[in-house]
Amino acid sequence: MRLLRLISWPYLRKHAVRSLLTVVGIVLGVAVFVAMHTANQAVFFAFERTVDRIAGAAQLQITAGEAGFSEDVLERVQAIPGVQVAVPVIEAPAATRLAGQGNILILGVDMTGDRSLRDYDLETGDEAIVDDPLVFLAQPDSIIVTKEFAARNSLAVGGRLTLSTMVGDKAFVVRGIMRSGGLTSAFGGNLAVMDIYAAQQVFGRGRRFDRIDVKVRENIAVDAGRAAIRNELGVGFDVEPPASRGQQLESTLAVYAISMNVSSVFALFIGMFIIYNSFSIAVTQRRSEIGILRALGAPRRQIRNLFLIESAASGLLGSLIGIAVGILMARVMVGTISNMLEGIYGVAERAEEVSADPRLLGTALAIGVMTSMIAAWLPARNASRVDPVHALQKGKYQVLTAGENRARRLAAAVLMAAALVFLWIGRSIWFYAGYLLIIVAALLLVPTASLWFAQGIRPLLKWLRPVEGALAADSLIQSPRRTSGAIAALMLSLGQVIGLGGVGRESYNSIVDWLDTALNPDLFVAGSQNLSDRTFRFPHSLTHDIAATPGVADVQPVRSLRVNVGGSPVMLIAIDVVSFERRGRRATVAEDPRGMYALTKAGEGVIVSDNFARLQGRQLGDFIEIPSPGGVLRLPIVGVMTDWSDQQGSVVLERDVYERYWQDDTANVFRVYVANGADPVAVRESLLARLSPGQPRLLVLTNAEVRGWILQLTDQWLQLTYSQVFIAVLVAILGIVNTLTVSIIDRKRELGVLRAVGGFRRQIRQTVWMEAVAIGLVGLALGVLFGAANLYFLLQITGRDLSGMYLPYRFPVGIALMLLPTILCAAFFSALWPAESAVRASLVEALEYE
Amino acid sequence: MNRYGLPSHVMSAFRRPVAIAAAMFLAGVAAPNAQNDARQIVAEAQRRSDARSQRYEGLLQVVDSRGKVADKRWTFSRLGSHGQSKAVLRFLAPAEVKGVALLIVNHPDRASDQWMWTPALQRERRIALQDRSTRFFGTDFSFEDLEERDVSQYDYRLLGEEPIDGAPCWRIESVPSQKKISQYTKSEVWIRKDNYAFAQVESYLKTEVVRRLKYAEFVQVQGIWTGRRMEMSDLRRKSRTMLTLEKLEYNVPLKEEDFALQALRNPL
Repeated sequence: MRLLRLISWPYLRKHAVRSLLTVVGIVLGVAVFVAMHTANQAVFFAFERTVDRIAGAAQLQITAGEAGFSEDVLERVQAIPGVQVAVPVIEAPAATRLAGQGNILILGVDMTGDRSLRDYDLETGDEAIVDDPLVFLAQPDSIIVTKEFAARNSLAVGGRLTLSTMVGDKAFVVRGIMRSGGLTSAFGGNLAVMDIYAAQQVFGRGRRFDRIDVKVRENIAVDAGRAAIRNELGVGFDVEPPASRGQQLESTLAVYAISMNVSSVFALFIGMFIIYNSFSIAVTQRRSEIGILRALGAPRRQIRNLFLIESAASGLLGSLIGIAVGILMARVMVGTISNMLEGIYGVAERAEEVSADPRLLGTALAIGVMTSMIAAWLPARNASRVDPVHALQKGKYQVLTAGENRARRLAAAVLMAAALVFLWIGRSIWFYAGYLLIIVAALLLVPTASLWFAQGIRPLLKWLRPVEGALAADSLIQSPRRTSGAIAALMLSLGQVIGLGGVGRESYNSIVDWLDTALNPDLFVAGSQNLSDRTFRFPHSLTHDIAATPGVADVQPVRSLRVNVGGSPVMLIAIDVVSFERRGRRATVAEDPRGMYALTKAGEGVIVSDNFARLQGRQLGDFIEIPSPGGVLRLPIVGVMTDWSDQQGSVVLERDVYERYWQDDTANVFRVYVANGADPVAVRESLLARLSPGQPRLLVLTNAEVRGWILQLTDQWLQLTYSQVFIAVLVAILGIVNTLTVSIIDRKRELGVLRAVGGFRRQIRQTVWMEAVAIGLVGLALGVLFGAANLYFLLQITGRDLSGMYLPYRFPVGIALMLLPTILCAAFFSALWPAESAVRASLVEALEYE
Repeated sequence: MNRYGLPSHVMSAFRRPVAIAAAMFLAGVAAPNAQNDARQIVAEAQRRSDARSQRYEGLLQVVDSRGKVADKRWTFSRLGSHGQSKAVLRFLAPAEVKGVALLIVNHPDRASDQWMWTPALQRERRIALQDRSTRFFGTDFSFEDLEERDVSQYDYRLLGEEPIDGAPCWRIESVPSQKKISQYTKSEVWIRKDNYAFAQVESYLKTEVVRRLKYAEFVQVQGIWTGRRMEMSDLRRKSRTMLTLEKLEYNVPLKEEDFALQALRNPL
């Protein structure tokens, strides 16, 4: 403790700014980790709570995928002896026409029996009306809203609320307002209750329910009740506790979490190297102190522990700040994740409480401190090995000995060889281990590679400015310890930019290719501009109406819904396969010799997407089982094609087979092809004029509009790359400022002599600037090389674990070129303040520096 | 020595136990009779109110715990006798509920089947058995209370006699038999001794009285004594519902087809 007080504290106080900058690296890594996990947990917790609240006292929920099931299932369930209460439910998101409110979840229930399971706890309302379900049932425009929603939108009992429904915009009458708490907390209050049979009509359910909520008799165990229901209904129905819906969300978020974990690990690595850099510099700067301490009898262990304690303190400070920043970032990220949930559930889950789990914070704290101590381990060990005599010598310590260099190169070679072996083994854990080894090997090679590059650009720098350029290059060549930390951090950061940029660019290109081949209808008839919205369905009869419109050559009704296949929610696409073959130009990956389309049309097989095959480990000829209300559909895979419809994979089934098993002939979307010579815009107008009166909800979108919408979604991925560029610039600035600051201190005498012999201030500045630019150039060069390798790994991760889609390897030249001016500018900017401090330093002091 | 040849003091000693034993014997013999009497009383009350059909217009007034009154009107038609009948209830007012109808098909050996028709939606919905304990459309009656009871569905015990509104009545305990599914643990029924009309019914959940149905304004219509006013009180909610029967008729000609699901769809 005395040493900390006498040695460490004065040093830290003297270099407060630099110490703080060092800590920023840990702050960044911990903040990303905390933000990502906190946001995920907050949204997941909010969703689970919502599921619980909507479920009420229900112990089991019966569903049959997204298609729902006919009403007669309800009586079968109610007749089961162990069932005490079984009530039908429809859940449908509906767009409000209120500013800033987005969608609201409509819960359609049968009020005569639903109060056994859910407490509506009405606050206000005409008791004679709301408490009397007769009027509520008799008036299908009746709705009950939450107190929160009513307050936000100045709604009172008797007021009107317009919602977008299958029958167009419809005004509902608020007949009751629910008290706060319980059910009303679902989706931040964006929930409303209406009669289930009225909901069937306005949301196009026909005579179907979405699910049945069940409570078993008191003397019956829930598992026994579940078994009895399964026995009665057979396959094709899921009978699960409400909590299982949270597990489905967890699987969806897991994919998102993998990508965020990779970013977090990179951020921590970068932080680690900034700390390594700073402590290496600190050790070399304090060699005299260390030498004196050793000469006075301080054991090596004490010296080592001194630096480790300093690093632990830095890590602790960085972690605490990182946690606070992370929680703030989580509040922003919650919005992003909530929007993603809206795509799944239809309504954005507003996670009102963003509070981090103490265990998570403890983990983040431990990670920050451990990262800092790991980063400082080598410098601390080096400090403990300082020879008291050599410690008093200047100038030699920034040099890496030849032996040290050889050891690093050897270690790197061994790690690379091991990595190649792991990659050859191929299984998931070995793959990631190999990836990690490659990163470590690259880091070990940074000093050597920096030296080579510095030697390589020396002629260029010297050509630009003979004196200043040579001094700048020599500073890098002679002091690799000082610069390799910053360069390593830059390399990692830029490698991540190139990797993510490459993946993003190839994803974009692949989607554009897919759009050209697969998304080729001239027009789309849908219920929403968001084609992935499956809430609205149209009757099959609309096919004939569309086909009869002048200018229409072909119509393909499509019914898509999510079904559970092999434990994953994949997209089932029911379409007329003959028309699909005639019009589509999807790339075929594998095909049954007898013809995949013919077999699928005959109901003797299915066609799957390539990412489905990869994610599920299936191939041509394998059988898959698809649960349906009409029984389990077991069919072989007769074709595999490239398809970007869904991240979890897609399965194409002949429409007739679907109608038979699901007893559902509705369609989500109609793909319309116009006749040769017909104007798609004119045909669209005709369709709208003919169909809109009977289908107010109907939209007709052109191919260009749909492409634009899809590409807009894809562009969001690329925005992630830009945020990584921002991090890279920040890292560059931090690392270079740190390095230059120490460089100027180290070269105080050298720069002093330069001024004493007549060097201008301008020349001092340019020396520092050019050193900064040189660091930036070397970091960029290594970052590009590392990025090329990193791109390969990220493409593999995307294919293996994220989307199942293997993208071609194409180096993102455009992004790399964009990085050149960006990093050079950042480097130059970083050098401004150190250059000024070098210029303003006292000449007398500089010459006295010893 | 008395005439039985036993000393007098022995006779005295035995006199009380013998009297007690005799009383117990008589009580034992009387108990089955009391049960039989109770069933017979209920059966007689049912017989006297039996009719091939019934029809009336009803004024329903619901008074909530704050004293607020809401009115509804309906027509009620019944075809068939106790426990094996069909009934249609169709709302006439207020305007929000006009046309809403309920079809009740009573069975002697099981719970009734009930359907509700909503004209605005043009569709019917079945009222599930589990929902029978739910309040009937905001009144203090439950769906089960609308079912007809048959004497064979319950077990009875005569509890004694007690006047209701000055009229002497038998007080009878009625417990659902095993084949009868009911939300109530038991009921107590008061039947007037003068005309065998029901004067009051109290329904229990375990040991708590939860509902009380009281009859008033007794009139004889076509030889059948009927309480024209009924007041159902929900003792937990502290609210009550009054039903007044108007234009009451018995044994009117009604068509079987008017008591089918399709008939609900016919407008008034």
